[in-house]
Amino acid sequence: MSKIRTTIREIWGKVAGIWQVADGVARGKAVEITEYEAEELYHIFGIIVLGSFVGLPSPPMQISLDLMPFMEKELILMMEKVDTAHEPISDLFSVLDID
Amino acid sequence: MGKGGVGKSTASALNSLFLAQKGFKVLLVSLDPAHNQSDIFKRQLSYKATEVLPNLSVIEVDQEHWIKQYLKDVQHQIKKTYSYLTAFNLDRYFKVIKHSPGLEEYALILAFKDIRKRFENLDFLVFDMPPTALALKFFNIPPLSLIWIEHMLALREEIIKKRDLVTKIKIIKKERETDKTLNKINEMRNDYLDLKNTFESPSNTHVKLVLNPDKLSFAESLRILSFLKDININLSQLILNKMKNVLSWDDNGNAFADIPRLIFPNSEEPLIGIDRLQEFLIKNNNSIEKQMIEV
Repeated sequence: MSKIRTTIREIWGKVAGIWQVADGVARGKAVEITEYEAEELYHIFGIIVLGSFVGLPSPPMQISLDLMPFMEKELILMMEKVDTAHEPISDLFSVLDID
Repeated sequence: MGKGGVGKSTASALNSLFLAQKGFKVLLVSLDPAHNQSDIFKRQLSYKATEVLPNLSVIEVDQEHWIKQYLKDVQHQIKKTYSYLTAFNLDRYFKVIKHSPGLEEYALILAFKDIRKRFENLDFLVFDMPPTALALKFFNIPPLSLIWIEHMLALREEIIKKRDLVTKIKIIKKERETDKTLNKINEMRNDYLDLKNTFESPSNTHVKLVLNPDKLSFAESLRILSFLKDININLSQLILNKMKNVLSWDDNGNAFADIPRLIFPNSEEPLIGIDRLQEFLIKNNNSIEKQMIEV
């Protein structure tokens, strides 16, 4: 009897595990584009604030400098972006799952 | 304010002296990089208040010092918050940044904020402004910065909305962190709004325009008036300095018609040294006092 109970518990555990993974994947998939959008917005924010360093119209220098201490994430993102900068369309297609 | 050489420093020294003699506690601040107050008062002045009369102290603002101090603070903050590798090459950039356009006038804003806080118990803070271009940039910093800040605030809020949505759907079990960048932008916004309101408020800030009876000074004064109107700052007084005769150049009296005037007659001798300034005030006591009271 206890063996059956153990087996049922194991099966239930596995089903729950599969459900959790499936749920995680579905949720991940659901927000994939929003996440990409957020990342792009971070990127735009970075370009706006730090644009003067790459010759773009930018806010008065003191605004950029005052925000600099909080911009590490944007700076790293901008550097990473350099890798995909030459192929922006392929970057977008991979996010949208277009083959 | 006024064109270079019209007598802004002398006029501000006379104004400060007049107020101090009336029993008010006055601080005269030289924001002009030319630092004429040292010559006028024949004293070595610095950022430490030098008492030239019982009620009157004078200080000079060193822009270079403020720029250096500001950049040092930013660099320190960055090194504190960034990981080691990101902050690795910063020194190199900061050596260049200190020559960036715009920092000169921001240094004056930093000094202005500091002085306002340090000497808030005084009756009057009289600022001897730099020549037109730099002075206008100084007054333009708050409204210009606010335009950028409002846009950046909207963008940041959009980012946070999306980030929160992702966190909610993915059920990420972490505490909702406060966005430090958003907090900083809000802090800056409040700061600039406070400055803008101070400059625009006629009860807090009296902007006086000094001009001479010559066409160039008059033409530049018209441009100053128009620029100040654009950024919502009103002139509280027109100081007609080095006056010899009645106005013959006043554009039919239209441009400055509503602005109270103070006339400083031309002095035969240079107004250098506190004794000369006092002599000038005594000599013209009746007319200046009458005009001041009217203002």
